[in-house]
Amino acid sequence: MIKADSITKSFDDKKVLENLSLEVKNGEILSLLGPNGCGKSTLLNIVSGLIMQNEGQIYVNDVLVSGKVGAKKVYIKPSERKIGYVFQTVSLFPHLRIQDNVAYGLKSLHLPRQEVKKRASNLLEFVGLLEYAKYYPHQLSGGQKQRVALARSLATDPQVLLLDEPVSAVDPQLRESFRLELKNYLQALKITVVYVTHNLSEAFVMSDRIAVMGNGRIEQVGSRTDIFDKPSSSYVAKFLGINTFKGKAIETRGGLLEIEVNGMLLLAPQAPNLVGKSVIATIKPEDIMLSKSADFNQVGVSRNSVEGVITEMVQMRSNAQVTIDAGFLVKTRVPLSDIKNLGLNLGDKVYLRFNADALNVFEDNSRN
Amino acid sequence: MGLIVLTYLLFVTLPILAVFLKIEPSQVSAQLRNAGIIEAIKLSLITSASATLIAFVLAVPSAYFMVTRNFPGKTILDTLMDLPIVLPPAVAGVALLYTFAPKGLLGPFFNKPGFIIPGSTIAVVIAETFVASPFLFRSAKIGFENMDRDVINSAKMLSGSRLKVFLTITFPLSIRAIISGTMMTWARAMGEFGATLMFAGNIAGITQTMPLAIYMFLYSDPLAGIMLSIILIIISFSILIIVKLLDQKKFGAKK
Repeated sequence: MIKADSITKSFDDKKVLENLSLEVKNGEILSLLGPNGCGKSTLLNIVSGLIMQNEGQIYVNDVLVSGKVGAKKVYIKPSERKIGYVFQTVSLFPHLRIQDNVAYGLKSLHLPRQEVKKRASNLLEFVGLLEYAKYYPHQLSGGQKQRVALARSLATDPQVLLLDEPVSAVDPQLRESFRLELKNYLQALKITVVYVTHNLSEAFVMSDRIAVMGNGRIEQVGSRTDIFDKPSSSYVAKFLGINTFKGKAIETRGGLLEIEVNGMLLLAPQAPNLVGKSVIATIKPEDIMLSKSADFNQVGVSRNSVEGVITEMVQMRSNAQVTIDAGFLVKTRVPLSDIKNLGLNLGDKVYLRFNADALNVFEDNSRN
Repeated sequence: MGLIVLTYLLFVTLPILAVFLKIEPSQVSAQLRNAGIIEAIKLSLITSASATLIAFVLAVPSAYFMVTRNFPGKTILDTLMDLPIVLPPAVAGVALLYTFAPKGLLGPFFNKPGFIIPGSTIAVVIAETFVASPFLFRSAKIGFENMDRDVINSAKMLSGSRLKVFLTITFPLSIRAIISGTMMTWARAMGEFGATLMFAGNIAGITQTMPLAIYMFLYSDPLAGIMLSIILIIISFSILIIVKLLDQKKFGAKK
């Protein structure tokens, strides 16, 4: 268990973390997701004790490891926090053999030599690199090195594991397979893991829960579906590539909420408390269907239909990202086969359709 | 273009060759038995080795401190520490006199009745340390600065002892920079002339190191001067080769 409570950290005059709180449950893998430079690594460094926060406390398994108790300052050394840390760059000790890299932490525990050797071998076996024990780091590939780094960080039997973009040290074409390997190791360990990444799909593959970070704080924490279906701020929605519209909630009618976006009325799920307020509505690109005719399917009450013009089409592997100007810009995902069948082209007039359920609406707290 | 290069290459290499041409191989063994020469070599080896050792003990930890800590005025202090590298040695000699001579800034602490620093072998060591140690300081600093921060942090996660992390990780990974700096310091100490002459004087057997002896022999016994010069050239050249070899193998530097 890790608890960061109201953490603030500045470098010189720049505030990197501001009143950040986050709780990681026992035994869960939590992804810390956010753009580069949002303070993810700084948070890990504070949790591990490599740097000290200006304000707030850090708890590891209910033990206060840094912070203030009244006027008394508490700071437990990184090596005594029962935390393993795998860094972004390949951080193996280049002058030590693989087995000695893994055994480095064990040697500080003053164990008998045989025991150190046995444990180091077990760890190397766990990451499938026992036959490389006598090699030096420069003889290994990026993925192998990170596996050694994982084994090394586990040597001191940590209760918590921090991984800072471990995949970035691996060759791009091997990243996907390394990710899956790593996931298997982490699941086998059954310990609390914080996995830092700026890559959305990586966060989805690796973890049970995702904490989206931005502007020095945690914007939202939740399961994959929570975060994707119900982003709680436009920051999160935009970071996930989800459409966001500013609008106003008008009234509830027939069990649905009517909102006005750019002069157009859209139906969203019931939310009486939002009526009369400025709101932000979000919708995933894949929840929007496109058609060329107005009378496509039966238009039910719960179905929204908006007219627009295709302004951009970007082809991807199996689908295309089609941007439509409907008075506001909407991004959609269309399978390549549909593009062909429907004969979609730039400048075409199309109808966007989506269910009221697909819209996620929350109050707009921004000042502008 | 070719002429410019040729002229320059000859300009640098020819004077070295000229020294070697001034002595017959048959004269070498006699010169190596010259008491004056042996005395100067001995003194040079002792003083330069002492200066290098002192520089190592003082400059390496200081370099580590400068790299790992932040404090106000660090940049200015850092620049001041490099000053002896460009300071004219004569000025260094004068500065040391005004510091360590009986009436100097620290004179009362170091000079006792019957023992005066200027004119002693200790003065030679002080002069050589002052002029030469910044080479090691600078080189060690570069070595520590080039270390991958994640490597050091990995060690800190696994070991609570700063000293252990320094001895097992930081030091071995910067060893090439440190050795190279040590060699440069030693070479500079061996060749020290100006500061030694100003501060320690030119007393045979006490402060007369090899460069000073060369200066003295130049008119009285040219062959001895040439012999000493050749020995210094060989030492300098060997050090240069070692430093070059160390620089080529970038082991332990970033990635």
